[in-house]
Amino acid sequence: MRDYFVERLRRLVPVFIDPVEGLPPADPDQVVEFSREFLFSGTPAFRMIFYTMILFLQALCLATRGKSVYSLPPDEADEFIQWLYSSRISTLGAIPTILGTPIYMAHYNRDDMQAPLGFDIYAMREEAAKKGVLR
Amino acid sequence: MIIKPEELPGGIKREADIVVIGSGAGGGPIAKELAEEGYGVVVLEEGGHFTREDFDFRAGQAFTRLYRDASQCVTLGMPTFVLPQGKTVGGTTTINSGTCLRIPRHVLKRWHLECGLKDITEDEINLLYGAVEEYLFVKRADPEVAGKNNLVFLDSAEKLGYSCGFLPRNAKDCEGYGVCAYGCPSGAKQSVNASFIPDAVRAGADVYTRCRVEHIIVRGGRAVGVRGRFVDPLTGKKTHRIEVEAAVVVLAGGAIQTPSLLMHNRICLSSGRVGKNLSIHPCGAAMALLDESLQNPKGIPQSVYVDEFAPDGIMLEGVTLPPAVMAITLPWGGRRHAETMWKYPYLGTFGSMISEHDSSGKVVAGPSARQPLTLYNLGRGDLERLKRSVLLMAEIWFAAGAKRVYTPIAGFKELSGPRDLGKLARTHPKRASVYGLSAYHPMGTCSMGGDPYHSVVKSSGESWEVENLYICDASVLPTSLGVNPQLTIMALALRTAGFIDDRLNEGSFEKQSAGRLERLRGRLRAEKESIARRLSGETAAICSPERLRYHAR
Repeated sequence: MRDYFVERLRRLVPVFIDPVEGLPPADPDQVVEFSREFLFSGTPAFRMIFYTMILFLQALCLATRGKSVYSLPPDEADEFIQWLYSSRISTLGAIPTILGTPIYMAHYNRDDMQAPLGFDIYAMREEAAKKGVLR
Repeated sequence: MIIKPEELPGGIKREADIVVIGSGAGGGPIAKELAEEGYGVVVLEEGGHFTREDFDFRAGQAFTRLYRDASQCVTLGMPTFVLPQGKTVGGTTTINSGTCLRIPRHVLKRWHLECGLKDITEDEINLLYGAVEEYLFVKRADPEVAGKNNLVFLDSAEKLGYSCGFLPRNAKDCEGYGVCAYGCPSGAKQSVNASFIPDAVRAGADVYTRCRVEHIIVRGGRAVGVRGRFVDPLTGKKTHRIEVEAAVVVLAGGAIQTPSLLMHNRICLSSGRVGKNLSIHPCGAAMALLDESLQNPKGIPQSVYVDEFAPDGIMLEGVTLPPAVMAITLPWGGRRHAETMWKYPYLGTFGSMISEHDSSGKVVAGPSARQPLTLYNLGRGDLERLKRSVLLMAEIWFAAGAKRVYTPIAGFKELSGPRDLGKLARTHPKRASVYGLSAYHPMGTCSMGGDPYHSVVKSSGESWEVENLYICDASVLPTSLGVNPQLTIMALALRTAGFIDDRLNEGSFEKQSAGRLERLRGRLRAEKESIARRLSGETAAICSPERLRYHAR
């Protein structure tokens, strides 16, 4: 991933992930690292679409809000993202859906994020290891 | 044995009786059957080999290691569907939910009448199903580990009077960790990587992993081997070569990769059917916010079904999502996303599967054999059916006490009560207004049939055009099944294994087909008796009254 996109992705993280009390805050470095691996393992087409969507999001925000998405106040940025998600035009809806895929997966793939939601990986792994079903 | 590329000193050239390309629902059973018959079997698998100890409950690792292209495979068309496929030893069976359903009778009748497949008789296929079910410990999902999400939905569907029940699955002593899609961490799911492949290896088969087949060698109209390259998992680059000469080549790469390999090798193309006739099962989903905790994702992800609408092509099947997958499925982002995810334990999910009527799709050659393009357009009738399935799931969720139901249909992403159901029912959504959808079970791209003009392979699985080239995966299924296809692929694989055995033994399978069935019957009877003896002690212990009530339905 080029530095330009790394920087843009890092700055998109707070736009997509809102802090919630009781859950750990988003870690842009972790999201970037995860996305790098996720995009590398995937198709070149998806990689290209992902980068295009970053640019498209920026252009669209400039055109409709007159500001870069990264410099919008949190409330306005959130409203902008919701507007895209709820659009009946599939191309607009696809922008946050595609960008959100590695961002959300990275964030909710964290052990410390999943445990408070009731998905305690370590406990389950220990239990599964003890279980070990044989044919 | 299972051989990783790093264990090899360099390129290799070897011989075998049978070389199998792919180790999924088609390749695994064939390899096991023929290895146990004493043949030299070599299996070439593009993905890596992982065991239950490697499955670590993490979405990221599962997607990048076990799924083709990190699950980024999509169909091109309107709407776009994500089409997840496994790329590991065991193929998609390693990452599916383990549902094992037989072919519906009306579909088999259609095969007889429209596809010229009368020789796949009901008796024979049931016999084969019986053998696979015994071998994979197929039984109805245990209500005690079915998962609250599924049980709440099932109870609600039952109250509404819909036909429903527990799904049969290939799992033994499943504890319901809820992560079938990440690879079964306890080894309970009898996916091909945990059943057929280990048995094939025990019988002497060699499985080469991270090996991508590029060429099928054909001489004088007869397949005589394959050539491929190993792939470095870290860089994705090709490394050393492999060439296997074999009397029989079995192609079992799945309904997307198999036609692509044939197209790139320019073989079996005379019927014009390779890559055509693609069927998938487009899936809808309805998520619901309930007052009570559903203890997500504990429980079997896909343990129950509602088949009331199966005659209309709508099958509802359970689906419980771990947090990382739930997070990418929600139809919004930002603050609302965070708030909804915070209520994760209270979020119910259920899925629908559409058996297509007026959609069309095909696989065409892409820039490389590895990356074919999957073109697919959802027909208007099927779109209506998809909408209806979402409506039905929403109705069932509301009857279960849901406060809100979330759908993938633009303009109706949040339904707040039965009044919204009416509005959605009256709407005719456009194809562009549903997105974030997934589809499963690609089938039909090298369909079997009764003549060489309308099909790619004979009912024995052998291609019409190239002798000793057999195809054995979902691509040979001539029509959409309407149910999860793994059991049917496995049953047909056993059937094809019989034909290959006859070919190698006797020279011509046509003369021996009656004798083959008799031999199969005898062997299955003996296997059944031995398994029954082994399980007789366990059966009494695991049947609680509640389970018996459901099993009796």
